[in-house]
Amino acid sequence: MAEYQYIGKSIPRTHETDKVTGRAIYIDDLKLPGMLYGKILYSSYAHARIKRIDTTRAKKLPGVRAVLTGFDIPDVRVGFIKDQTVLKRDVVRQFRDEVAAVAATSPEIAREALDLIEVEYEELPGLFDPFEAMQEGAPLVHELDARGRPLRTNILPLPWKFSAGDIEEGRRQSAYTVKDRVATTWVNQCCMGTSGCVADFDANNNLILYNQTNVIFGAKQRITDYFSKIGLKGKKIRVKNVVVGGSFGTKLDTDIYEFICLQLALKTKKPVKILFTREEEFKALPPRQPAIFNIEQGCDKEGRLTFRHAEAVLDNGAYTSWGVTTPSVMMTPMSSLYRVPNVFFKAVCVYTNNIYCQAMRGYGTPQATFAVETSMDRLAEEAGFDPAEFRMINRNKAGDITPMKLKITSCGLQECIEAVKEKLQWDEKKGQQKDRGVGMASLIHVAGGARVYKSDGHGIRIKVDEDGSVDVISGGTDQGQGSFTVLAQIIAESMGFTPDDVSFTIGDTSLGLWDAGTHASRHTFVAGNACILAAEKVRRQILEMSAELMPRIIQFGLKRRSRKDKDFQTPDLDLSLLSDPENLDIKKRMVYLKSDPDNPHYQVDVTQVLRQGLHVGTGESKTVMAEVFYDPPTQMLDREFKGNYSMTYAFGTTGAEVEVDRGTGQVKILKLVAAHDVGQSINPTLIKGQIYGAAYTGVGYALTEEIKVQKGKVMNPNFRDYQILTARDRIPVEAVLVEKGDEDGPYGAKGIGEPGLVPTAPAIANAIYDAIGVRINELPITPERVLDAIKAKEGDEAC
Amino acid sequence: MIDYEYLKPASLDEVFDLMKKHGSKAELVAGGTDVMVFIKQGNHSPEVLISLRGLTDLCYIQKNSAYHIGALATHRMLEQSQLVKEELTALQQGSSQVGSIQVRNMGTLGGNICNAAPSADTAAPLLVLDAVAVLQSPEGQRRVPIEEFFIGPSETVKKNDEVLVEIEIPSEMGRFKTAYCKHARRQAMTLPIIGVSVGILLEKDVIADARIALTVAAPTPIRVRQAEDFLKGKPFEEGVLKEAGEIASSPECCMPRDSLRCEGWYREEMVRILIPRVAMAAVEE
Repeated sequence: MAEYQYIGKSIPRTHETDKVTGRAIYIDDLKLPGMLYGKILYSSYAHARIKRIDTTRAKKLPGVRAVLTGFDIPDVRVGFIKDQTVLKRDVVRQFRDEVAAVAATSPEIAREALDLIEVEYEELPGLFDPFEAMQEGAPLVHELDARGRPLRTNILPLPWKFSAGDIEEGRRQSAYTVKDRVATTWVNQCCMGTSGCVADFDANNNLILYNQTNVIFGAKQRITDYFSKIGLKGKKIRVKNVVVGGSFGTKLDTDIYEFICLQLALKTKKPVKILFTREEEFKALPPRQPAIFNIEQGCDKEGRLTFRHAEAVLDNGAYTSWGVTTPSVMMTPMSSLYRVPNVFFKAVCVYTNNIYCQAMRGYGTPQATFAVETSMDRLAEEAGFDPAEFRMINRNKAGDITPMKLKITSCGLQECIEAVKEKLQWDEKKGQQKDRGVGMASLIHVAGGARVYKSDGHGIRIKVDEDGSVDVISGGTDQGQGSFTVLAQIIAESMGFTPDDVSFTIGDTSLGLWDAGTHASRHTFVAGNACILAAEKVRRQILEMSAELMPRIIQFGLKRRSRKDKDFQTPDLDLSLLSDPENLDIKKRMVYLKSDPDNPHYQVDVTQVLRQGLHVGTGESKTVMAEVFYDPPTQMLDREFKGNYSMTYAFGTTGAEVEVDRGTGQVKILKLVAAHDVGQSINPTLIKGQIYGAAYTGVGYALTEEIKVQKGKVMNPNFRDYQILTARDRIPVEAVLVEKGDEDGPYGAKGIGEPGLVPTAPAIANAIYDAIGVRINELPITPERVLDAIKAKEGDEAC
Repeated sequence: MIDYEYLKPASLDEVFDLMKKHGSKAELVAGGTDVMVFIKQGNHSPEVLISLRGLTDLCYIQKNSAYHIGALATHRMLEQSQLVKEELTALQQGSSQVGSIQVRNMGTLGGNICNAAPSADTAAPLLVLDAVAVLQSPEGQRRVPIEEFFIGPSETVKKNDEVLVEIEIPSEMGRFKTAYCKHARRQAMTLPIIGVSVGILLEKDVIADARIALTVAAPTPIRVRQAEDFLKGKPFEEGVLKEAGEIASSPECCMPRDSLRCEGWYREEMVRILIPRVAMAAVEE
């Protein structure tokens, strides 16, 4: 392996000092002169007709600058399939429906004004169960589609169906089959920073939107589209990030509150901020999509998978955001986690009067992997294999082309399974212990970009100033993951500079080149490759300048030195060697001669070259800069949802050792091993941080987290009743990095943003089974569910 | 809009004057870890907040002929007191599991009791320890056994002109082995699904006296006398303790309800399971 200066080194993050000392400007801190505060009035019913809205009293409250309802703004449809309006004026279809909005001189006044808005509703019956909503003759959540055509069903018109091979043939080849039903529920992304934005128009209605999106150009496009429908076509739009306190999927879509903020700012001609309270974050922010799966798998006598057949029903809620597209990503584990020749997967999304959903870390794969990996465990048992051995038999390998036509170019799944086995002492512990158990689950995820848009590109601009400082402008964003430390390492390594030389300007549509978004675990891979290409360009420019200038700089230096120091022996140098850029390279900001790298006389500080190149005194001065737009050579998924839509794929295995208290049903995690094929770690501390954080979220998904929705209403909109685990719960996570390198990754790196979360819940569920012999098919695995299952089993055994 | 006048008197007499002056418009606040949350949620909207934080002389833990704990002693003080840990173990365990360190630095024992949540972490230990609430008004003091103090969720016998000044625990209770179990979904910043406290007075291997108290098992924290009576005179052994758990979890003794946080059947089951465990833990301590 090549000897790197900065790759694989745990370089500390620098921006974080501002965060921990309170200097960083989050949306909460951002104040513009004259800024007003917006608040939103939500529906009081899950489903109702609005009969009357009276804003008279609210408008009279001192300090109130605007009160808007759906009658005050253009009734324009927005959203992923344009199935909602910004403010609802006829019918509300969920408790979070935005009915009115206020802008006032303080958030308290705005809040008080909401109480003065009178809305009269006529309650309508609600649909809260997706299976009921699917029934023929069920009342319709939406009567018309986006184009005004009548709808006949609550099932969304989305073609989520994947088929490869022949399921019936697979069944015939099976010696063993298992069939299960598993269910996952709503969970909130729980960002530390709540949602919010500041909309600021100039006198000509050109907009700067300060927000937290991780897809700045997507946001710009959605606002452009909205502007074109509300009479602001052609107005300039600049989307600019503040410091973001976590995203985890929440900042992928442009949310309704952002459109409301635009309208309040337009109406008042003042900057307006909307900032969610934690309660709003739970009630009015779309969470992870719940899904119920029926899954059937089979294998032959040798334990080789013969088929996988799965059908999913997803409660879509009343409207549609990115949550509805999660089945397209579920197809990856459904079709390609382990070698399985015959696959069928179908998902339907159903409108109900529940809350609607969006993206969350893992994007559908945690749900699908829970189904696949708990089923794998059952099938292993049915066929008489150790679950680890069963997974080894069916593991993916480099060189595979999966039924989805994913090209597996590098694969560390075997090493991940082996690492988990070793760290958990699997062979000694499996099936041995009373009330203690071990379990594992694996994952596959995109790790080399994800061509979900026609471009999966990322643009990088670099300039190198005469003092050797490197400014990089990226269209990407940082939602807390620290990728700009990683990218600085990549640029420093490629340029021969140091990471300290590199500064990033990010998250601004006016400065950055286009980027598909800091999503899909793609940033290190795609932006990293763009950085290498751009760094290579500027390095080349510096070397060409050096070839031209170095002989003179060195000669001049030698002369000066011999003048000052009478004893100085001028060395015998062949300066002609320096005039070919091919002979030169840069390391730690020194340009040196490759054939004699340790000779100090053949070295020049890069700033001398940069200065001399710039300050020439004629019309031939040069500066160093480069622009690169890198779009990985991948494919869009075709109509059958097949195609190699990522350059490479991440694999990983999580192993859990648990102890179950048979009296209370409580599950204690004794050890969690998260082994991940990361290709090559750029920054081990940061990559482990990603894995730990994701694993904790996965443990919450497995054991404690659940948005309780009763008849459409969120019942636990706070951290007291929505139980994320705390530091006191001390989940011992050990991250194992499998580094075999990936030929297409930047220095061999693969994406790791999401994977850590994905296999956590099924690994824990499988460990619980090993401990007590009962399977919990529903998340979260609460003490009640465990105790219930233990009692049911004891009852069965007693009979 | 949230708006109130904040007053911080320096003496009890001043507190009484202010309470008289502002009447029902005023609310007392000690650590504020409950009151401020209620105000923020819009459940309480006092016009005047009378802070007791100026009454620094109510911030003590003492032992003479009895244990005396000032109403303004914080949970953190109780948690860190060696005396409380060794002699009033259950109370130390209860206090040390309230919220987080930040919350325990602010929240007080008096506040926890006067808030009268069915889930209060110090309530079951105080019931087990036969604590007495000392209430003071301009007319004088009265002493109420903690068992009679709670009359409903958020309701106590404390009158509007009274201030809880002290919790007193009889010195003989120091001879009991006590423990508290907060059964919760996570280890910090949470409320118990069920709280169980047990006190055992052992003479040789026989249970000479016993106390069992539960939280979240009824509208108020409760003692379970039937189970206590059953234990008295019995040998300290697992079978006996399990029987006490059966008695305590029966409908005559507790009536846990279904709530968003937990279903009643599970709470009832936990009373049954945890009583013998907590009794064992108390004695093993």
